Amino acid sequence: MIGRLLWNDIRNHKLLSFSTVIFMAASSLFISLAAVLLVGLLGCVDDLMEKAVTPDYLQMHAGDIQTEKIKVFAREHAEVEKWQVSPFLNLENSSVVLGNRSLADSTQDNGLCMQSDGFDFLLDMNNVCPVVEEGEVYVPVCYRSLYELNIGDKMQIGSEELIVAGFIRDSQMSSMMASSKRFLVCKEDYNRIKKLGEEEYLIEFLLKEKTDIDSFAADYGSAGMDANGPAITKPLIRMMNALSDGIMILVILLVGIGVLLISLLCIRFITALGVEQDRREVGMLKALGIENKQIRFLYLSKYILFSFVGALLGFWGAGILERPLSEKLRELYGVSNKGLFSVAITILTCILIQAVILFFIRHVLKKIEKMSALEALFPVQTQGKNKERSQYVIIGLVVAACMVLTLIPQNLYSTISSSQFVSYMGIGDAAIRMDVRQSENIGEITENLLEELSYDSDVLKYVALKTVSCPVILADGSQVNLIVETGDHSVFPVKYAEGSHPEKEGEIALSVLQAQDLGLHVGDKLELIYSGKSKIAVVCGIYSDITNGGKTAKMSNLSSGGNTDDRVMWSILYVSLKDNVHTEQWMKKYTCPGVDIVDIASYVQGTYGPTIKQIEMAKLVAMGIALLIIMVVVMLFMRLMIEKKRYCISLQKALGFNNVSIRTDYFIHGFVPITVGALMGVLLGNIFGESICGQILKSLGAYGFHFVIRWEWVILIIIILMVTAAAAVSFGTLEVKKIKAYECCMRKE
Amino acid sequence: MDKILRVEKLCKDEIIKDVSVGVNQGEMVAIMGPSGSGKSTLLYNISGMDQPTKGKVWLKEQEITALSENDKAKLRLHQIGFVFQQMNMMENLNILDNILLPAIQANKEKKKERTEKRELIDEAARLMEKLSISGLEKRKITEVSGGQLQRACICRSMINHPEIIFADEPTGALNKGASEEVMNALMSLNREGTTILMVTHDSRMASRCGRIMYLLDGQLQGELMLEDCPKDSFKQREEKVNQWLAKMEW
Repeated sequence: MIGRLLWNDIRNHKLLSFSTVIFMAASSLFISLAAVLLVGLLGCVDDLMEKAVTPDYLQMHAGDIQTEKIKVFAREHAEVEKWQVSPFLNLENSSVVLGNRSLADSTQDNGLCMQSDGFDFLLDMNNVCPVVEEGEVYVPVCYRSLYELNIGDKMQIGSEELIVAGFIRDSQMSSMMASSKRFLVCKEDYNRIKKLGEEEYLIEFLLKEKTDIDSFAADYGSAGMDANGPAITKPLIRMMNALSDGIMILVILLVGIGVLLISLLCIRFITALGVEQDRREVGMLKALGIENKQIRFLYLSKYILFSFVGALLGFWGAGILERPLSEKLRELYGVSNKGLFSVAITILTCILIQAVILFFIRHVLKKIEKMSALEALFPVQTQGKNKERSQYVIIGLVVAACMVLTLIPQNLYSTISSSQFVSYMGIGDAAIRMDVRQSENIGEITENLLEELSYDSDVLKYVALKTVSCPVILADGSQVNLIVETGDHSVFPVKYAEGSHPEKEGEIALSVLQAQDLGLHVGDKLELIYSGKSKIAVVCGIYSDITNGGKTAKMSNLSSGGNTDDRVMWSILYVSLKDNVHTEQWMKKYTCPGVDIVDIASYVQGTYGPTIKQIEMAKLVAMGIALLIIMVVVMLFMRLMIEKKRYCISLQKALGFNNVSIRTDYFIHGFVPITVGALMGVLLGNIFGESICGQILKSLGAYGFHFVIRWEWVILIIIILMVTAAAAVSFGTLEVKKIKAYECCMRKE
Repeated sequence: MDKILRVEKLCKDEIIKDVSVGVNQGEMVAIMGPSGSGKSTLLYNISGMDQPTKGKVWLKEQEITALSENDKAKLRLHQIGFVFQQMNMMENLNILDNILLPAIQANKEKKKERTEKRELIDEAARLMEKLSISGLEKRKITEVSGGQLQRACICRSMINHPEIIFADEPTGALNKGASEEVMNALMSLNREGTTILMVTHDSRMASRCGRIMYLLDGQLQGELMLEDCPKDSFKQREEKVNQWLAKMEW
């Protein structure tokens, strides 16, 4: 009988039942999709890192290499399982043509390397080490779609030509956030092409399990080893890999949580309304002697059925969406062998979400227990105008939630794609960046450029910042290498979370993560070794930086008048141009070997391009979902409210009110909370969204994050959402037309 | 005669004031009174649907007023039948399923020797035949007349063989013909030994009972015994009731 009762109830309340199932399915879909993508991402990143045997500690080094010294160091450290020095031939981007396109505008350091013997393998698309023949090259897989490459295409390096024989997955540098890309060639080709590039070294260590990588890094620094370049650890590589594709998952998760909250709100309303509509029947069941828990079970069994269908739909939907969304992950990192685990995670997440919803419904159904049989049978009309109005708050809340859902990805997109975002990257607000990296005479090229710039009437201001690796002596006497950018930091100042830029000699500014790592604050002192002498520097400022693993420093100059060029790893010139100067044409003037010149917008695009694209997609998806939710929820709500007031409307009609006047009345009732909700949503989306994104970016080293709000987009979103909401209210009030004037006369009460 | 129901100094807020009554096994009693006199409130407090502010109620040896909500629910399921003026039934079930609803629930609560569903259906069919509504089993509740629906409600109240039926204005929402049908059904059950306590404002219906109690401002004002009047002489009984009601300033 229960089955028949449920079936008839569902048939008689098709709209309510359908909406409940849809809300349940949507909640399951998004959260389980985020869970399965996250498991997939971490799974395939870990799989690739395991198969490629990624080093635990890696030090890049430009200049002569002292292999013997490394050998001694490794022998003295029992935690070193294996070590190797891999040469990396840094190529001049402008001399490389991939397929039909030049790499001149690439923001990456592109270079050749050979397959390692011991570890840090570059794997082909089957995740095995490819055999590279002479004349062949294996290209990083992230370039396949970027440069529309196919096997058999050509790669031109100066006068040399190689054939693309396949694509490789690089466990260290797959992500576009990693600044270098390795092309795999055989030994013969490498040696032949060597003269066309600048050779650098990757000093790599594979450590035994449970080794403290940070203390190993400190030991390496203290031992005065080769360290002319940034160092990176395995956890950082893993984070960079996960992060570049993790933002999309984060947005899906945020959307999922938003949808779940909206669903709970709507399900609560639908359930409470259902109990209200069945009040007399509940009272009758109580009068017949059916216990509360059995009446509650009767209701709950309906929702368990809905929940089951919702979970199935969510599982199915997540399965369909998972494939296209994880396609890029599969290409970059390979297929994770956690297929069954992923299915289990999807099922578990669906069950968990449904359990949360059912628990919530069970709580709402407690209302049944609180009603006595008499109260249920003969309800006292206590519902005043205020309570009725308060029910409309629900649509205000839904519109506010949808607004937040849409504004967070929109603002995040506006912020990351804006020119001001570079200030979180440890870069000032310049227009053009000139990198001088791969040359034996970085200093000379930099000086020449500076001279040219000083005569250039198109230039508004410019500065050259030279980066050196400088040892720091910690309180316990150990040493670490600090990447210090030296020069005049007042020309294009970055955002300082505390203090200000270094002006005088002996002042140093640290990036947030570096300061945290060293446990230093503004005003603290630290001991540096430069020009062969130990000097004390005072921390004058702490700034946001999410480049180079977030750990950098800035000083005005290492020694007044001294020549630091012998230790310069690279130098970067920042330039801003006068108004009306054509940036691209100006950049062409300065194109020369050894200098990568790029406008900052393209630099951001090159580094965060894939992430920006993902956020752009996520913002469109979020917008679509928000519009759908508003349309369904607001329309459903209005229909339910009108159904609830059926008797009153019928009476109004009997008294001579027409459809237009009644619908207008309900439209106003609905539209006022929508307007309030929209304004609330704008406020929350900007404030609350900023603090959520700020917290995430803070963990990466970007302090004091603020949204760059593009108001023209925000206003457009407000208009679109409100017009949709107004249309939904209007459609919902169409129900008024179906109510007949005579209905009130037929009511039995 | 054994008292099936005893009410002692029952009070409910300011509506019922110190009412003490008793109902004998097999009796059919009507409570009358003007609107607002507290008839329905008294009925709900006696039947355990509501909790009095003071006083005690016993059904046989069981003190209803001392029971927990769950125990009261059990009592309503097994020992009490209820008929409402509004003919409350589950919209999503047909007539037969509505009648069977309390029986199936009671059967579920039995730990041993559960009754076969077939037997329950047969019992429902027997009751429906007795109340002249056979053939309506599969109908929706919206597809039968008011009189038929109220008789189906009486069948439902009888399905678990209760000790007593409480009826609140059972003919209040019905026309004359339908009221007759319902009243005849109740009388027929009473003849078979079912005790009935009902609230009505219809003197014609009240005159079918053996005893009438008159309530005014929450207090019992008097009682009229009709046991000595011939049961089939409706006119004589009605006249007697009307005269008595006039004396009570009805």
